[in-house]
Amino acid sequence: MAAVIEFQHVTKVYKRIFSEEKLAALSDVSFEMEPGQVCAFLGPNGAGKTTSISMLMGFFFPTSGQIRVFGKPPGDLAAKEQIGFLPENFAFHKFLTAPKLLRFHLQLAGRNPDSAGTLISDLLNKVKLNGYENLKIGKYSRGMVQRIGIAQALLCDPNLIVLDEPTSGLDPAGRREVLQLLTQLKAEGKTIFLSSHILPEVEQIADHVIIINRGKMVRSGSLRDLLASGGQVEIVADRVPDELRHSTLSGAIVEPVQQGVRFLVEAARKREAVEALWAAGCDVIAMTPQRNTLEELFLKEVDTPGGAK
Amino acid sequence: MKIRAIALNTFSSLLRNKIIILFCAGCICILLLMLTPLLILRKQSGTQNAEMMQMAVLPLIGSMMTFISGFGSLLAAWSASDAVASEMRSGTVLALLARPVRRWEFLLGKFLGVQLMMFVFVLIMLGLNYLLAWIGGATIQTNPWVLIVYPMVRYMVYSSLGILLVTVMHPIVAFCIVLVTMIGAGLVAPGNPQTFMPEWLRTGLFYIFPSSNLLSETRFLTITRATLRAALWTDHATALAYGLDYALVCFLLAAWIFHSRSLSRD
Repeated sequence: MAAVIEFQHVTKVYKRIFSEEKLAALSDVSFEMEPGQVCAFLGPNGAGKTTSISMLMGFFFPTSGQIRVFGKPPGDLAAKEQIGFLPENFAFHKFLTAPKLLRFHLQLAGRNPDSAGTLISDLLNKVKLNGYENLKIGKYSRGMVQRIGIAQALLCDPNLIVLDEPTSGLDPAGRREVLQLLTQLKAEGKTIFLSSHILPEVEQIADHVIIINRGKMVRSGSLRDLLASGGQVEIVADRVPDELRHSTLSGAIVEPVQQGVRFLVEAARKREAVEALWAAGCDVIAMTPQRNTLEELFLKEVDTPGGAK
Repeated sequence: MKIRAIALNTFSSLLRNKIIILFCAGCICILLLMLTPLLILRKQSGTQNAEMMQMAVLPLIGSMMTFISGFGSLLAAWSASDAVASEMRSGTVLALLARPVRRWEFLLGKFLGVQLMMFVFVLIMLGLNYLLAWIGGATIQTNPWVLIVYPMVRYMVYSSLGILLVTVMHPIVAFCIVLVTMIGAGLVAPGNPQTFMPEWLRTGLFYIFPSSNLLSETRFLTITRATLRAALWTDHATALAYGLDYALVCFLLAAWIFHSRSLSRD
C-alpha cells in the first residue's frame, strides 16, 4: 500500500539574509506513514515539529531531501484536497461566525456552501459549538477557537488529518473530547498525523510514534514495539535464595509480595534469571514484561546526551 | 469560486480594518473642513455675482479633488499590502493555503478584494465630484466611465505595487516606499518645473515609477474650463493600457516571489 506521507532524507537549514549564520532545523529526517495509521510526531519545543509539518503542508521548502504526500509533492492541489489541517495556535478571521467560516473554507475547497447546512451543523455539534452559531469568532475562548479549528480540519471529510498541537489551550474536559473525536476518526479509518505534548493522551490513540530532538529523528516505530523495547520484566517466584541475590540477581529490585518474592530484571537478562531460579529449585509463578509509558520513553530519548545533537 | 471567496472575505475584512477606518475618518474630517468655506461662499452667492463666486470656488474644488485622488492611491497601496500582511501576521494564511488554493489565486483574491473596496471608494468620490460641481454651480460634462475607469486603473497600479513590496517587506516599509514613489513620480512628471535632477535621471525614473499623472481622472473633470479637453479614444487606450500593463507586471512579480517564499506566522 502506498505511503500517505514520505519524508526522504529531509533537511531544512534556515539562513539569515546578509549573514553566514545557519540553523539546521531538521537534519536528514526520513520516515513513512501508512494509510489508516495514527502517527504521533513528538519532540521538545524547538525540535523541528512545526517546521516538518510546515514542509509537509507546502508552506516551507526543504533545503534537501524529498517529501511526498499521497505520492505528490507538498502543496499539490490534488494532495491538498485530501488533507485537513489544524495549525498550531490556529487563527481565524475574527469577524466571521463559525458557520460563515466553515462556508468560506468550503468555498476554498471548491465546494458549494449552499447545500452544506446539515454538514456544518453536524460538524458544530461534533465539536460542541452548537448554540454559538451567531457569536463572532473574535469573542470565542481559546478552547472554542481550537474546536472550530478542528471542525474546519474535518470539513471536507479528508483522508489525512494533520493536527499541530490539537489539544493546546483546551481544558481537561476539552482534551478528552478531542481525544474521543480522534478515536472516532481512527475507527473510521482516517490517517492522522499529530504533534502533541500531552503524551498520556497520545499514547491512547497513536499506532506509530516518531520522536525528534534538535532536528534529528531519534526514535521511530510502532507504539507497541517502542514501549515494550528496552524495558524490564517482572518475575514473581516463591522464594529467592540469598546466593542468587548476590550473583545472578544482583542489582535487581527485590521485594516481598503475597505469593513470594517479586523482582525486576532487564529484559535481556530474563532467561538467565529464570534458569537460575529453576536451577536453585525455586518455583517461577509469573513473568510479565513491563511496559514503558510514552512519557518515560520520550524523556529518556530527549534527555539522552547521545540521542541527538 | 475560490478567488471570489477570498476577494469577498478580503473586502469584508478591509471594511473592518481599524487603520483604514482611521484613514478614511481623517480624510472625511479634512474634506469637511475644506467644504466649509465652499458652503459659506455658496450662501453668500445669493447676494453677489455668481460668476465671481465660481472663480473663488473652482480652485478649491480642484485642490479637494487632487487631495481625494492622492488619498485614494495611498489607500489602495496600504489596503493591498495590509490585506496580505495581516493574513501572514495573524497566521490565517496557513489555514487558507492548506486548502486546495494556489498561491497566485490567494494573491489575486486579495487584489480583487482591494479593487472591490476601491470601486466603492470611486463611486463615493464620483458622487462627491457631482456634489462639489453642484455646489460650485458647474456641471461635469465628462462621461462618468472616465471618472470610474481611470482612477480604478490607477488604484490597480498602486495596489499591485503594494502587494509586490509586501511580499518581501513589512507593510509599513512597503507603504513608505509607495509614498516616496508617488512623490517621485510627481517630481519627474513632464511639466514639473523642478531642475535639480539631470534629464537622463528624470527620464529614467519617469519610466520606472508608476507615472500615473496620465491616469488622473482630474484631467477629465470639466468643472473648470482650463481642464476641459476632448480626449481621443487612442489617448484613453494608451493611458489605460500603460496602467494595466504596469499593474500586471507588478502583480506577476509579486506572484512569482510569493510562490517561492516560506509561509509562517510573522
